[in-house]
Amino acid sequence: MLQQVTLSIDGAQVEAVRGTSVLDVAVEYGICIPHLCHIPSLSDFGGCRLCVVELIENSRSKVTTSCTLLVQDDMVVRTNTEKIRKLRRNIAELLVAQAPNSRAIQDIAVRCGVSQVRYPFRNESCVLCGRCVRLCTELWSARAIGFVGRGKDRHVDFPFGVRPDVCKQCQACVQHCPMTITPCDGPMEPGEERLCGKCEAQLLIAESAPDSCIWCELGVGFGCARHAS
Amino acid sequence: MSTTSLEAILEGRRSQPQELIEVLQDVQELFGYIPQESMISVSRELGVPLIEVYRVASFYKAFSLEPRGKHVITVCLGTACHVRGAARLVDQVTGQLEVEPGGTTSDGLFTVECVNCLGACALGPVLVLDGVYHDHMSPRKLSRLIEAVRSAEEEVAVRAEA
Ligand code: SF4
Ligand code: SF4
Ligand code: FES
Ligand code: FES
Repeated sequence: MLQQVTLSIDGAQVEAVRGTSVLDVAVEYGICIPHLCHIPSLSDFGGCRLCVVELIENSRSKVTTSCTLLVQDDMVVRTNTEKIRKLRRNIAELLVAQAPNSRAIQDIAVRCGVSQVRYPFRNESCVLCGRCVRLCTELWSARAIGFVGRGKDRHVDFPFGVRPDVCKQCQACVQHCPMTITPCDGPMEPGEERLCGKCEAQLLIAESAPDSCIWCELGVGFGCARHAS
Repeated sequence: MSTTSLEAILEGRRSQPQELIEVLQDVQELFGYIPQESMISVSRELGVPLIEVYRVASFYKAFSLEPRGKHVITVCLGTACHVRGAARLVDQVTGQLEVEPGGTTSDGLFTVECVNCLGACALGPVLVLDGVYHDHMSPRKLSRLIEAVRSAEEEVAVRAEA
């Protein structure tokens, strides 16, 4: 039998099934926690750190990723404190500096309130979110791709860099990669990277309602869990 | 443990995915590196997906995916060794052997590596040649050490011919 727990997210008492993550529950209730590496129904590994929240325990607060935080009775979570917004903005800023050529990531930056990028643009083609790897492993049980190497050399690859027979060429990895959705104006050339921030209509609502879901563009094409559910 | 063949390494460990790292360690010891064919066999025999074998093998520094030289020189570049002139040792070894750190000489005799602390800081600058620690190294001592290994190898070669 499913066990229900009651917890508090941003002051609201919400009910949830034991075993679900705080991120899934929050998004289901229309509370916005921007996230990148999480895909509903796949395992979470806390890779992108975007979904950080404050967990209040014994009047102390601890910052942790909500996709890997399972709901518990009487848990108290804050998703939109000043501290969290600042952390989230910084993570989004780092992400967009790393990979400005993704509309998904540009949108995440807008949603998180990034207004300038203080880090050098890198124009990488992967942010190591591991969406592709987990889809391939968990949804299709193909295990054709995985993380290879360590530290700054870590990347996603086939075994020995060659497409193996176990790859079913289903394209799921490509479809769910945030890097395959290019910015509206087309790819930015090296040296021309910038914060897009052109969706002014979006910018306004993004700022006025940081805490609740505004059905932002994030889910379109890319798949914020809010749109997936 | 000294193992003679991949067969022997796999013996008694088949279908045991948890043995992966130990098997790879033995393969590394046997060949001096982890050949692709071995990874394929290990994947099949232990029942571990190939990408998983490759991921693990490419992650740990103890595993090499490229053939390594007969002799391995590991220069410590940790803080203590650095302030005592480890960089000069690197210059010496790369100059003398004409190979970059991480590389192997074209005759397959030497591989040069750098690490970030060997845990023997008081003896710095330290380097390891084939498992033997050499303390308080200087470029001169290093140069003589390399020459010694080389002439020993040449002697072996001459004797083999005779
Ligand atoms: S290839 Fe795409 S989906 Fe895979 S880890 Fe990189 S950014 Fe994420
Ligand atoms: S659709 Fe946009 S606003 Fe709604 S939860 Fe997702 S990121 Fe937040
Ligand atoms: S969504 Fe939680 S860390 Fe990426
Ligand atoms: S710094 Fe070289 S042994 Fe520690």
